[in-house]
Amino acid sequence: MPMPCHENNAVSTAGRKTATTQPMLVLVGNPNVGKSVLFNKLTGKFVIISNYPGTTVEIARGGTFIDDKEFTVLDTPGVNEFAPRTEDARVTCDVLRDYPEATVVQVADAKNLRRALLLTLQLAELRRPMVLVLNLMDELDKCGGRIDVRKLSEILGVPVVPTIAIAGTGVHLLQQAIGRARIPSLPSDAPGSRPCPTEIEAQLARANAILAQVYTITQPRHASFAQKLGWWATHPIKGLALAALVLYFTFWFVGLLGAGTAVGFFEKVVFGRYINPWAIQVVDIVLPFPHTHDTQESHYNLEIPLSPTYGISIWENTQIVSAPTYSLAPSATLGGWTQVRRLAHDFLVGEYGVITMALSYSLAIVLPIVTTFFLVFSVLEDSGYLSRLAVMLNRLFRGMGLNGKAVLPMVLGLGCDTMATMTTRILETRKERVITTLLLALAVPCSAQLGVLMAMMASISIRAVVFWIILMVLISFIIGWLAAKLYGGETSDFILELPPMRQPHLGNVVAKTFARLEWYLKEVIPLFVLGTMVLFILDKLRVLDKIARFGEPLVTGWLGLPRETASAFLIGFLRRDYGAVFLLDAATGPKHLLTPHQVLVAMVTLTLFMPCIATLFMISRELGKKTAFWITMFIFPFAFFVGGLVNHLGGLFGI
Amino acid sequence: MESKLKVSAPQFLHCPLCGFEFEKQETPCQHGCPLGRFCKLVCCPNCRYEFPEKTQGLNVLQRLFHRGRKPAPDRTLLGLHELEEGEHSELVCLNSSRASRRNALAVYGLTPGSRLILQQKRPTFVVRVGETELALEIEIAREILVRRV
Repeated sequence: MPMPCHENNAVSTAGRKTATTQPMLVLVGNPNVGKSVLFNKLTGKFVIISNYPGTTVEIARGGTFIDDKEFTVLDTPGVNEFAPRTEDARVTCDVLRDYPEATVVQVADAKNLRRALLLTLQLAELRRPMVLVLNLMDELDKCGGRIDVRKLSEILGVPVVPTIAIAGTGVHLLQQAIGRARIPSLPSDAPGSRPCPTEIEAQLARANAILAQVYTITQPRHASFAQKLGWWATHPIKGLALAALVLYFTFWFVGLLGAGTAVGFFEKVVFGRYINPWAIQVVDIVLPFPHTHDTQESHYNLEIPLSPTYGISIWENTQIVSAPTYSLAPSATLGGWTQVRRLAHDFLVGEYGVITMALSYSLAIVLPIVTTFFLVFSVLEDSGYLSRLAVMLNRLFRGMGLNGKAVLPMVLGLGCDTMATMTTRILETRKERVITTLLLALAVPCSAQLGVLMAMMASISIRAVVFWIILMVLISFIIGWLAAKLYGGETSDFILELPPMRQPHLGNVVAKTFARLEWYLKEVIPLFVLGTMVLFILDKLRVLDKIARFGEPLVTGWLGLPRETASAFLIGFLRRDYGAVFLLDAATGPKHLLTPHQVLVAMVTLTLFMPCIATLFMISRELGKKTAFWITMFIFPFAFFVGGLVNHLGGLFGI
Repeated sequence: MESKLKVSAPQFLHCPLCGFEFEKQETPCQHGCPLGRFCKLVCCPNCRYEFPEKTQGLNVLQRLFHRGRKPAPDRTLLGLHELEEGEHSELVCLNSSRASRRNALAVYGLTPGSRLILQQKRPTFVVRVGETELALEIEIAREILVRRV
């Protein structure tokens, strides 16, 4: 059908340039076909992309210029059909409904043309001008397929553009084709087809008819290495071996290289020897009052770790540096202004100072760990391994009322629980989302926390570490199982497409890591500064002591910890890793407050805490205030309950 | 919450002629049939055979006499779970009671006539349809009826 009436979409706005209705492009398509890559290439804006179906959970918006006209581009989550079964599909449907004027750019995986055509046929019913993009042409080539692009364009009556978006091939062709966007003009029904019982089957019959005309394939004789690797990854035995290998590498890279070497360097050298002493000096000059700073010996050993206890030492040295703690000059009497100066001094570089505590902690300890984790995660994501891991773990997750798809939020939770809570949107039922969110908040430690926990583990025995791991896994299962029983309802079917194994694209991995880090730091640093300020004020008003006394029965009685640690739990409400750092100080610091048994109790209690206040906000945004309230009401008492049990019964296990 | 619990499960009907399983809402009516809602016949959406709907009493009777007796299996028609790893097959039909499940499979290209390769059975079924690799649980694999090729 020619298109007489839809000119208004692009042309009429040119007449009134200042009009608010900018022409729009909406990118739609099946999951994991490269809509976001194309979006990046068109707009120059970065959105997170990966080799896992369902990465885009929110709509990204950007602008692009085509023939000197500015277009707004919307990137939508992938859909397989326009039946809003998942949150993602609902989002995409809403976008199409809200912007009836928009030009639809359907992005298709050239290898899976049948599925794309199915979507095209559904889109055709909307009667919008559209362009079909055949992306991933390189992969089609590799698997020996061929598509007659011109014929396809004739049949559908819309421009068809072959692209390899990741390499930028064909993007300018797409830009040229936007102007030629047409309403699809399909032959109304294939003649002689038998009546089909359902809509979808009727569409399939038509898709097959089109496919037969344009698509040919000659299967290559041998499976490629990537394909074989993909098969190994889901094999019952080889898959486990591969999973163990991946796990070990992740542990080495994040736990040893990130949390060990990198953190040591940033904490001891960058902050401990340069930034902190320098900040102290500057503040002392600007805000003078009679005092002398303590000095401490800083021993630094740069090594490449091989195992948690052994590494190759490269460089070692010891230096005396000034510490944030200080003693007042004995004869000094502090007047009004000096008091104010002292307060400001303490606020910046004191024991609970913004620079000496908040910044050095968030930048020196958290940043290296999170960076290394996100790097590994991005590589895993892009390789296509995560969906294979979902296949391996499906049976396990079934017992918790979840299915294998929950593996993505769970693994991402090891990086950042807040981010992971948002990703639970890829799950289909509310039941699965609630259970996954609960488990994330309860038992999945985020990378920042893991780093601190690993440091604490150094002061307890291997047996206690194993006990801690087993306990956390057991709690996840029991709570997951109970939650599934209590919540009732059915778990959705496990039908998951396995994306091809691909070699991760270095540029994309780096860009993605940066994007996640930016998100993370924006969330973390203000929280750390806020937390430090709260602590500072409490410390100055001598409230810390009072709170410690108030919480004494709980902390000393039930948990069996010294009362000084009460503030750690108090601040653990804000961020559990931040609380853990206090315990770390108590466990391994110069004062050695805690016995190994107490360290274990503290670790268990803090791991079970809500990750941080940002996660709480995210839960209430995603699941509603009521659910967030109940999750919180469950988590905190439960954490203290289990901590106490470990304290009282730990002796039975000989820990 | 409570209203959810009260909703009864949809009724499934079996076509005595072709064995197709469907929900009652899916039954098409013949055009221009004067009986309208007084019609007691149901029509199979697959083969258009008309047959009377089973009543409660008949159900009870049938269960009484046919207890434990299963229809002789048609050995050319297998569940996907009965195949060996690496076997090629052609999909005959999706014997799923849930329309949503049938739809979910259909959008991935699992439709009557499509060629499947069963890649693995453990820990989870993986089938290959064209260039798509799909992981499924055994419960779903059981409902995919295929013919060896």
